[in-house]
Amino acid sequence: MASAEEIVSGLGGADNIVEVEGCITRLRTEVRDPSLVDERALRASGAHGVVMAGTIVQVVVGPEADTLADDVQDLL
Amino acid sequence: MSPVQVLAPLAGTLVGLADVPDPVFAEQLVGAGAAVEPAAGAGRTAVCAPVAGTVVKAHPHAFIVQHESGAAVLVHVGIDTVKLAGEGFERHVDEGAVVAAGDPVVTFDPTAVRGRGLSAVTPVVVLDSAPDSVPGLRTGQDVDAGEPLYAWEG
Repeated sequence: MASAEEIVSGLGGADNIVEVEGCITRLRTEVRDPSLVDERALRASGAHGVVMAGTIVQVVVGPEADTLADDVQDLL
Repeated sequence: MSPVQVLAPLAGTLVGLADVPDPVFAEQLVGAGAAVEPAAGAGRTAVCAPVAGTVVKAHPHAFIVQHESGAAVLVHVGIDTVKLAGEGFERHVDEGAVVAAGDPVVTFDPTAVRGRGLSAVTPVVVLDSAPDSVPGLRTGQDVDAGEPLYAWEG
């Protein structure tokens, strides 16, 4: 289970995160600079997968996505 | 463990997850399963619990039912339908409700979803199951709501 801190760090830090939203099993996030996203670190922290399309990054974390999104929001 | 029989939550054509236009489902990142594509022109459609159990997540566009075996089955009604913010979706049960297999959980209009440019295909996924752990899918066949969709062996 990934922690909110690991998610923020893997997404390039709080300053890089424009928006984060939980959707059942995944975090949908928008980042400023996709090159700062560390997919390997996100997976290592427990994410099932990372899907990137431009500045939209989806991190698949399982059914705790909604709770985790709130925790990430608190760190921004 | 005996297999968990997963029922079709709605009528339509059985589609493999690989053909779902969302990489998270297509690559089985949340688990193995199958999807149901409602018929063209389908009117308001009830989406039913695929297994008996407890509704552990209930959004207008997606819900999770946890079976007594521990298997949690996600039903995601259409793709990217979170963008509709519940518009056109009616939820019939609250989180924590105990449901029988086949009980209606959500009602939606597939034709309206398609009218917004989104896919109405509905993945039915055993969360955290191993990729390809749902063998022998009869893809391309039509199923009715409440008919067996697949058996998950665990």
